[in-house]
Amino acid sequence: MNLIRSALHASVLMAAPLLVSLAVSAAQTPTHSAQPPAPAKQNGTAAPKSYPPALVESGGSLFRQDCSFCHGRDAGGGESGPDLTRSKLVTEDVDGDKIGAVVRNGRPDKGMPHFDVSDPQIAGLMAFIHTQQNTALTKKGGRKGVDVSDLQTGNAEAGKRYFEGAGGCATCHSPTGDLAGIASRYKGLELEEQMLYPKHAKSRVTVRLASGQTITGTLDYLDEFTVGLIDPTGSYRSWRTSDVQYKVDAPVTAHVDLLSKYKDADIHNLMAYLQTLR
Amino acid sequence: MNFMKAAFLVAVSTLITIAPRSLMMGQGVDDQMLLHPPTDSWPGYHGDYSGRRHSPLTQITPQNVKNLSLAWAFQTDQTALIKSSPLLVEGILYFTVPENIWAVDARSGHQIWHYTYPRSPGEHIGHRGVAMYKKYLFFVTPDGHLVSLNANDATVRWIVQVADATKGYWTSMAPLIVGNRVLVGVSGDFDNLTGYIRSIDPETGATQWQWNSTPPAGTPNQTTGGMTWMTGTYDPDLNLVYWGTGNPTPVLTGSTRPGDDLYTCTIVALNPETGKLVWSFQASPHDTHDWDAVETPVLVDGDFHGEHKKMLMQTSRNGYFFVLDRTNGKSLLTAPFGPVNWSLGVDKQGRPIPNPAKEPAPDGRLIAPDEGGMTNYRSPSFDTRNGLFVVDAHPSYGIYFAKSADGVYGWAGADYGVWGKGVIEAIDYQTGKIRWSHELGPGGSGAGVLTTDSGLTFTGDALGNFLALDSSDGKTLWHAGSGAHIVSSPTTYELDGRQYLLTSSGGVLFAWVLPQE
Repeated sequence: MNLIRSALHASVLMAAPLLVSLAVSAAQTPTHSAQPPAPAKQNGTAAPKSYPPALVESGGSLFRQDCSFCHGRDAGGGESGPDLTRSKLVTEDVDGDKIGAVVRNGRPDKGMPHFDVSDPQIAGLMAFIHTQQNTALTKKGGRKGVDVSDLQTGNAEAGKRYFEGAGGCATCHSPTGDLAGIASRYKGLELEEQMLYPKHAKSRVTVRLASGQTITGTLDYLDEFTVGLIDPTGSYRSWRTSDVQYKVDAPVTAHVDLLSKYKDADIHNLMAYLQTLR
Repeated sequence: MNFMKAAFLVAVSTLITIAPRSLMMGQGVDDQMLLHPPTDSWPGYHGDYSGRRHSPLTQITPQNVKNLSLAWAFQTDQTALIKSSPLLVEGILYFTVPENIWAVDARSGHQIWHYTYPRSPGEHIGHRGVAMYKKYLFFVTPDGHLVSLNANDATVRWIVQVADATKGYWTSMAPLIVGNRVLVGVSGDFDNLTGYIRSIDPETGATQWQWNSTPPAGTPNQTTGGMTWMTGTYDPDLNLVYWGTGNPTPVLTGSTRPGDDLYTCTIVALNPETGKLVWSFQASPHDTHDWDAVETPVLVDGDFHGEHKKMLMQTSRNGYFFVLDRTNGKSLLTAPFGPVNWSLGVDKQGRPIPNPAKEPAPDGRLIAPDEGGMTNYRSPSFDTRNGLFVVDAHPSYGIYFAKSADGVYGWAGADYGVWGKGVIEAIDYQTGKIRWSHELGPGGSGAGVLTTDSGLTFTGDALGNFLALDSSDGKTLWHAGSGAHIVSSPTTYELDGRQYLLTSSGGVLFAWVLPQE
């Protein structure tokens, strides 16, 4: 009987909450996308929109108080927060329609709190962030960030060997299957982050009730006390962990196991190999 | 009935013996209260000067903690998360978020007053709380000012500037009162600035001394940084103040600051009367990963391999657990408390040796722990009952990048968290071995730790559950879902013969008690 209550196993617990907040964030944050996020480009050849200096300044002032610790004073990234000048969400934002939602709702899965801000404040923040993005796009050097060209130091052949051998990647993945065209779907840093740990990977869970009935679904919530899943009908169901037995199938833990084994060259070689899968 | 009356009498007589002053209401905080905090008080950020956050209270036990219930909750109605440790003095709690102080009745949870500082420039990333001396509160602001208020009514006595926000400093820490001195530290990571600790006269606001952790900006081949953004500890017998300093700047590149970069990522011992450095121990020589050594320098007296030692212990952000002889700063033990892949080992002085191959690079380096570190500002606890150092640890990996185009000012590179989780670790301080651990969930938890003499460990998990664990094995004995992220450290106190557990999550403060019979 393999329905053991093994969920407190670290590698299993780890996968769940990312899923929890996926539903929350998915509506506003197209983190997986067919378009490369960086360098961001404006649609077509239209000139970047400019904003009244007073509006930009008011947004900049607020940004420096509430946002800059994580995102950097120039919105180019700081402690824990991403570089907004290379954000796809910012690129796609029109007059705050996406930025506003993120600011007001936060990004619970990524540790971003929500902020209570007025419409004029959102307008200011939006103007400041877009202005910073426009500035960054026209500036050469001097700005931190990771370019696709930075991540070309590996050897694709060595990466292929690691993929098929020591890395064990081929156990779950196939260059002609799930990874076919991966380098067209993700580029640069985003591809590397996906490779190291795909944060939105889903896990499966099978719950056995006291009656003996078993239910298998997508793991949606798990802590020491409660297990929740999305069942095959799309409904959320949960149980007290003390009342059921359950088993989590989280293949993503193989990525965690690799973190302590990688040499930096392995990562660069794997990146070189994955970038051949267009 | 008889039992209750007896318990009450015991409680009263205990108060009288231990804390005659606490019955003389209205005097505020004095030396004696800070040196020997009565159980009906929490007069400084760490509770007492040791930073152990181990309470002698034993009313809540492993046997009855399952009955813990809500006494009251206080809602700040703010989106700012509570990160502060509330002070408790004469039945009133004082706690903060940036630009806000609340005074709340510790029995009922109702608001006595609410002070707001005008909206100011400077970082609003967090606030650790106030300090109190006599009936005066001391409160730092995002724009680098120290505000002194009357505790009775929040009227402002004076405001002095302690750091220049226009240069990039801000302030967020809870000051430390030592004698007639208010010790204040500063923050600022996005500019190449000198870190310092400033001693300020609680009566007048005048500066008494300033100790700089790094040379002035622009000094050739010298580092800047070494911010002092957390509250230190104090040993009254040795008359030494212990303080951790932050990372060097530029943060992710060390090209302009060859060598160890003293006194960044360092535990320093200062004379509180003069501000002179007595000794130092560097937790991260030549740091390039933003690993402040500001985590609480916890003071413990006890046996170390057969010898009685006055020790200082720190679980540092860089992943190492340090035990020092706090009379002289000499290393007794250095041991990693989670995955660490950036060092070449430990030198003769007990300092980790940074591996140059693990400095941030144009094509990235995979580093354990991540930038948030193996732990951070959340408080650990030293469980004197079991001889265990208990910390909310964060095993994690991140990728670090830096290239010449990133320059040599401020952050000067980029880093990204890859994976992490939260684990409560109970470390045997004589060996560094982990006696027990308790998984807290993915990402990690921001909750600190409190231990009590009845054998309980209070903390919180990554999903917002407050937890009570058995201090002997880490098993869960009680929990309550809080509905938000927990990014603060629990405290406890006794009022009217009842032990309260105080926790916070999001913008809400919760007080827990056992049901009355």
